[in-house]
Amino acid sequence: MSIGTVAERLQQARRGVGVSGRRPGTVRSRGDRTPLGRARGTLALFAIPSLLLLVLLNVFPVGYAIIQSVQDGTPSTLPTEAPFVGFANYVNVVTSAQFLHAALFTLAFTICGVFGSWIIGMAFALLLRTRIPANAAFKVLLLLPWIVPVVVSATAWNWLVATPQSPLPVALSAIGVTNANFLGDPVLAQIVVIIFKVWISFPFMMMMMSSALASVDLNVYEAAKIDGATQWQALTGVTLPIVSRTTYISWVLMTIFCVNDFPTIFLLTQGGPVNATTSLIVLAYQAAFQDQQTGPATAIAILMTVVLVIVSTVLYRQIKKVNIE
Amino acid sequence: MSHTAAAEPGTVATPWRRAPIARDKKGQWWRFGVIAVLTLIVNTPILAVLYLSTQAGPNSTTTGFTLENFARVFAETDVTIWLGNSLTVALVTVVVAVVVAAPAGYVLSRLRNRLVSGYSLILFVVQSLPVVTAAIPLFLTFTVFGLVDSLGGVAIVYIGSTMSVAIWMMAAYFDSIPISLEEAAWMDGATVFGSFRRIVLRNSLPGILSTAIFSFLLAWNDYLIALLFLQSPDKLTLPVGLQTFFQQNAADWASVMAVAVVMMAPPILIFAVLNRYFSLGGIGGSLAGR
Repeated sequence: MSIGTVAERLQQARRGVGVSGRRPGTVRSRGDRTPLGRARGTLALFAIPSLLLLVLLNVFPVGYAIIQSVQDGTPSTLPTEAPFVGFANYVNVVTSAQFLHAALFTLAFTICGVFGSWIIGMAFALLLRTRIPANAAFKVLLLLPWIVPVVVSATAWNWLVATPQSPLPVALSAIGVTNANFLGDPVLAQIVVIIFKVWISFPFMMMMMSSALASVDLNVYEAAKIDGATQWQALTGVTLPIVSRTTYISWVLMTIFCVNDFPTIFLLTQGGPVNATTSLIVLAYQAAFQDQQTGPATAIAILMTVVLVIVSTVLYRQIKKVNIE
Repeated sequence: MSHTAAAEPGTVATPWRRAPIARDKKGQWWRFGVIAVLTLIVNTPILAVLYLSTQAGPNSTTTGFTLENFARVFAETDVTIWLGNSLTVALVTVVVAVVVAAPAGYVLSRLRNRLVSGYSLILFVVQSLPVVTAAIPLFLTFTVFGLVDSLGGVAIVYIGSTMSVAIWMMAAYFDSIPISLEEAAWMDGATVFGSFRRIVLRNSLPGILSTAIFSFLLAWNDYLIALLFLQSPDKLTLPVGLQTFFQQNAADWASVMAVAVVMMAPPILIFAVLNRYFSLGGIGGSLAGR
């Protein structure tokens, strides 16, 4: 095998050709000369229903929420009935201690959730790529935390850790760690919620990274081995760069999932104890449906959305750059 | 060393499998042990649900393994209604999502122009919107149309939230179908709609199943929308039903876990049967590829 072939294959694998990259057959600006170019009407009919649903169910509510965020309304008043208050909701929200705390917790929850689940998912993906008896069965069994409905897993985790009489605190007290009140102590509750999120999310990362790893040409490793690379060097120098695009995408998606995650936190702690695990989305929920104030609630949601859209658009461009490379 | 000896049968049993990496053969049973232990630890909460659901409850006379919890929750609670509601909502979501997303995914897969790039960006932005943002306005709007406290209303919200990923997944699958097949059909006078229906869709069963499974999981697992939109006892879906039941019977773990098993059985069964069709790999490509 010549060096040129290996380099070429590496290049190919990096671009993800043959997996999900652009194929040579794709129609690109060939105008009216192809049936696809002439069938504009059909293609418009193909796209319009989805566009209508996206606009009605996603874009319109956001526009509506922007109006509500400058009004003093309740979940049952229409925008025409609620008094206009300008940016008062935004100012009140941003200057409140609750918001700052929720923002910081959301940040910690997201960072730990994204990287924690990526590291564990990637480790499992790497391990499952090697020859292991009953490999396929483990692949399915390890997906269970992601497949099982969060209401069910939250119930199970509640049983495991909720009170000092639960199995895990009891087991810990047997080895000397007494009074582990996992959901009663603010810091412990934050840690438990984050671990719960990582537990739910790592199978998603495992699936994403497994399919990226499957596209890595194994000759690349032979080449690295001949060059005297250690296994760690092969991982950081060969594997990670090749799967970098999928890695970025999985980080973007998981960031969105974490910031927008309501049930994982709410079902385990309801945002408590003493608001320790109140993330921005839980705060917005409490403002809207417990305090009956849609103004602050939508203001929080709009602020979250703006930050999230900016972050994901920046990362989206980053992904495109990796893609072109 | 016992593990080296034990490694031989495994090697012989799968001679057709490409050995991924040279160091692979040795130590496979050691890795098997590691991953078996890890899998067991990871799945402890789920095993706990299964175990507790088959143990006698606080007011029972039996001890040890029993299925009486299931008989009791089906007889004494609304779990049958919740199950029916959840299935209805999830199936409606799946059917509409696939029917709408498949043609849209085809456009995304086959065309490259400014309009399609813009459409792709809309999908991406929509995916990052928090559900809570949309929930309040949709709640008010649905009140006007009488869609609050109705299964149809909930299904509509799920269709909206699964749409962008569903389109990506379909597009990613269509990317893997060579356009030359369609070009041959067009030569023979087929229309774009005809080739889409007879060639593309017919060869896309794994892609359609993937999209269907994703939409099903989203609809089946959702808690927030069901909590906000459904109120009458006969309209509840399983997540809200289970949560309400859990809050009222926190001490009766046997019954709570029996309902939990009913709720997690359908997604697990679906994955057990269809997991080889399910792939998230394509999402990445279709997200970044255009």
